[in-house]
Amino acid sequence: MRDLLSAYPRAELRFDEMLDATGAPRAHWARIVDTLAGPELDRVRDRIATAERQIRDSGLTYNMYADPKGVDRPWALDTLPMIIPADEWASIEAAVAQRAQLLNAVLLDLYGPQRLLAEGHIPPRLVLGHSAFQRAACNAAIPGGIALFSYAADLARSPDGRWWVVADRTQAPSGAGYAIENRLIVSRIFPALFGELHAQRIAGFFATLRDTLGEQSPRGDGPQLTVLLTPGPYNETYSEHSLLARYLGFTLAEGSDLAVREGKVWLKTVEGLRRVHAILRRQDDDFCDPLELRSDSALGVPGLTDCARRGSVLIANAIGSGILESGALMGFLPGLARHLLGEPLRMPSVATWWLGEPAALHDALPHMADLVFKPADPVLRLEPVFGQDLDARKARALLLKIRRQPEAWFAQELVRLSQAPVYDRHHPQRLGARAVGLRVFAVASRQGWSVMPGGLTRVAGSHDARVISMQRGGAAKDTWVLSPAAVNATLTLLRSTVGPDDLVRAGAGNLSSRAAENLFWFGRYSERAESVTRLLRVALPRFSVDDDEDRAAQVPLLALVRAVGHVDEDEAPEAALLDAVFGTERPGGLRTTLLQVQRVASGLRERLSVDHWRTINRLVHDPGFDAFHDLPQALALLDRAVNGLVTLSGFTLDGMTRDPGWRFLSVGRRIERLRALCVAVSTAVRDGRSAGLDWLLELCDSTITYRSRYMGQPEWLPVLDLVLRDDSNPRSVAFQLRGLADVLARIDRALGGVEPDFAPAVLSGLDRWNDASTLRPDETLAGWLDELSAAAATLSDRLSMRFFSHAEDRRRASFAV
Amino acid sequence: MAAEPRFVHVVHHTSYKYEAPVAQSWQLAHLRPRDLPRQRLRAHRLDIEPRPDWLDERTDYFGNAVTAFAIHAGHDTLDVVAESQVEIAPPAPDADAAARAWDAPPAPGEPDVDGAAMLDLAQYLGPSPQVPRSRRAIHYARRSFRPGAPFVVALCDLAHRIHRDFEFDPTATTVTTPLDEVFAQRRGVCQDFAQVMIAGLRGIGVPARYVSGYIITRPPPGKPRLIGADASHAWVSAWCPGQGWVDVDPTNDRRIDQDFVTLAWGRDFSDVTPLRGVILGGGAQELEARVTVTQLRRPASLTAG
Repeated sequence: MRDLLSAYPRAELRFDEMLDATGAPRAHWARIVDTLAGPELDRVRDRIATAERQIRDSGLTYNMYADPKGVDRPWALDTLPMIIPADEWASIEAAVAQRAQLLNAVLLDLYGPQRLLAEGHIPPRLVLGHSAFQRAACNAAIPGGIALFSYAADLARSPDGRWWVVADRTQAPSGAGYAIENRLIVSRIFPALFGELHAQRIAGFFATLRDTLGEQSPRGDGPQLTVLLTPGPYNETYSEHSLLARYLGFTLAEGSDLAVREGKVWLKTVEGLRRVHAILRRQDDDFCDPLELRSDSALGVPGLTDCARRGSVLIANAIGSGILESGALMGFLPGLARHLLGEPLRMPSVATWWLGEPAALHDALPHMADLVFKPADPVLRLEPVFGQDLDARKARALLLKIRRQPEAWFAQELVRLSQAPVYDRHHPQRLGARAVGLRVFAVASRQGWSVMPGGLTRVAGSHDARVISMQRGGAAKDTWVLSPAAVNATLTLLRSTVGPDDLVRAGAGNLSSRAAENLFWFGRYSERAESVTRLLRVALPRFSVDDDEDRAAQVPLLALVRAVGHVDEDEAPEAALLDAVFGTERPGGLRTTLLQVQRVASGLRERLSVDHWRTINRLVHDPGFDAFHDLPQALALLDRAVNGLVTLSGFTLDGMTRDPGWRFLSVGRRIERLRALCVAVSTAVRDGRSAGLDWLLELCDSTITYRSRYMGQPEWLPVLDLVLRDDSNPRSVAFQLRGLADVLARIDRALGGVEPDFAPAVLSGLDRWNDASTLRPDETLAGWLDELSAAAATLSDRLSMRFFSHAEDRRRASFAV
Repeated sequence: MAAEPRFVHVVHHTSYKYEAPVAQSWQLAHLRPRDLPRQRLRAHRLDIEPRPDWLDERTDYFGNAVTAFAIHAGHDTLDVVAESQVEIAPPAPDADAAARAWDAPPAPGEPDVDGAAMLDLAQYLGPSPQVPRSRRAIHYARRSFRPGAPFVVALCDLAHRIHRDFEFDPTATTVTTPLDEVFAQRRGVCQDFAQVMIAGLRGIGVPARYVSGYIITRPPPGKPRLIGADASHAWVSAWCPGQGWVDVDPTNDRRIDQDFVTLAWGRDFSDVTPLRGVILGGGAQELEARVTVTQLRRPASLTAG
């Protein structure tokens, strides 16, 4: 154990979560310290390495697209859990539940009768002059008296061991989804410990959230529908949104997926509009409605605020709840607790003064050095100032600034954060330490607010950090709340709340137009990636090896790779093809196509399994891309890519429900494969030579079938029969045409709108080749294949027009005087 | 000044022409004049073309009437015509208290500032979306609000100086021109002048609100009155201890009287935009707003807009 702690900093002026004042592990940490100091460490280390791979593979990220290079930063998880003993937790739990109840009552008043303002419990200016106070949200119908459905408190522990609330998250608290993911990963790293310590399960929290939204939401116009409203894939916590949507079974929707009609909210689905009854939002207040709130919001739903006022939709949390995040309110909470709840506030907020009150200004200013000064309203664009950073001159300047506009500032004491052990991958035998804070989540239920037994422990970048920020390189820990007795392990993560009447079968259900469009393009791009890979695998060796047969194939292949765009007119084929494999700049190359697959898939996270993700991420991050760019590496990479892509289509065929969403994916794949086939066969046909025709069979993955049927070198008639007419060959034109007709008929049955003439007639014109004697490599055939390819493109456009178009609407605001 | 009520007829026609069809349109209209002690709305109607698929009338946070409507079918023009008949009473004389010296912002506990009044005043004291805190505006206002100056005198002096120092120029600004830019170029229209004055008043602790409305405008002598030449107008209402809200128009350097029709008030233009909306599609758009105010009696000429 001495080794384990040899690099662990002594907590001089701060609380140490793990060690007591004598330097011995606290009782609730003893088991984990033993595990790390003992022989089990090696196995733990292996499991941690596996877990890190798992995080990368599962695509769990933070700030996914915020990086200008579009590089995903994997969710930074510190694998050692934070541990909180049962008795200590009991007081945290009671305090957070009380605070949620209190803040909810404050919210109801501020957006309703405003007695707290009129009677002076809260200074009116602090609220009515604040940019986060949304007048349009006043006097809304609040179902069940709940405006604050989900709440999070950021806690910090001071050197004396007491917990303080340092921030309230009341609009759309983030992190609960990451907490589930962290739990899944960390409980696998320490399986024995997890059971032995009786760490409490957190799944019930999500079941409660779902139940409460279900109970409180209005009804009517069809089955109950809840959506999770996200700003979209460019938001830093989008991966959490999709994770939560999948976990809770809510439809993930962006603002443009929703529409207001007749005072109600509707989801734009491929079947038309479906009534939305509840919205769990992950979008800030002012972005929710460009009509009544921020007019420049491209993310919101025009008219949403009006629906909230009418109560035709439940919005969790209620629009306007951001006002409670103003730190300046904190100083008033003790008085409000006594006034509204008749009891003292159970956990203090970090000492806070709104300087708009002359008395507060007077109290706070003498100890400037111990305070941090923050803007009372983010709209003021003032930077927080740490008193301890100021010399005498700067302190005077700040004072002047504050006196000029005292109501714009609040002052807060700094809590010296506690430190907790962290695992260092490079030195697994020695623990490090980092400053930590705890985010605790509460959810409204029929019996008040219930608190997730656990939460997100946020880890700062250093052991003596003053603030914790996920954006600035922080990480998170799983949080284990110990319980005195064994936990009922039968409570699975997804508690069943579905009765026989609620069973749902594959229907279009809540397939939003946007999701349908993404599925369609996921189908197209993943198939395109496969055909690009196969073509490169066929072409590359034939340009690199000098062989008579290959030379014969070079002419049509060169025409084909040029037609597809891998090689420009004036380029040497071999180098250009290598670049098409490895390059990041070449449009239509392997790497760019795989990135397109990944991009479209990221808009579908809630519909794709972790296996899908792992496969996609392995394809995109194949080590071959960083290896030496030569032919052997290219061929090895292409082989792996074919494997990955076939695996991906395997999941699609074997692992996805045949609902209309799947049909769109399928029709996308078929259109893409048909087009690739048409261009390959027509190029070969126009070239006309039969020598070296193996390449076409290989490209169509039909070599084995051909050899089993015919002896000798490939000849035109049997090759054309196999790749055009043989509808038992999945890589034949006939197979794709039959499949397309079938999938369109199924979409029509499920959704309607695919009339008999929806698909261009040529797509059902294979009969013209019934007479095998007409099957020759001539211009008639080549021309027909061109027509077929064009028809496939037309079909793609028509599907977009019919099913996707309204997801692309662009909105803008107008003002007239 | 005539001591009898005046009848005014207002037609406010807003017309959009879109280059490409608009697929969806949601609009909020602040076009119905308020009922006030000084003015009574005798008749009002709102004609919208194309006919809205949905329409709803309500009252906003500030007590203004709002009409919300939506059009869900494609259209390439939108015409909104608000027609109102308003009876306007002659202005009441100032209370004695209006001559009270200005010294400090209103505070709870003063004789006429109870809890409810404070709730109303509090929101007109701080920055608002289009009127951020402006040190230039505060500095400018202080020169009128000298210690000991009677409130209404100081207020009218501020309006007078804005009228003198700023040039009316409809080409200089748009509805979203920032306040400091208006200050820098000393040009703008009624909206800009009102917001400059509001920024100054709030900065020194006087609750100030933005009033949108109309004025009766007459042509220069000898020329015929132009139909539709007038525009909607805006001025300032400031809260005076002992007197309540006092309206003054910096664009015309005047207290308001029977020449003014009050439409709506809020913290700034963004709260009471006459017609505010969100559309899908449409491409480029052409907007024209015409206001015609017809009256029965006639005092001196005003500048509108």
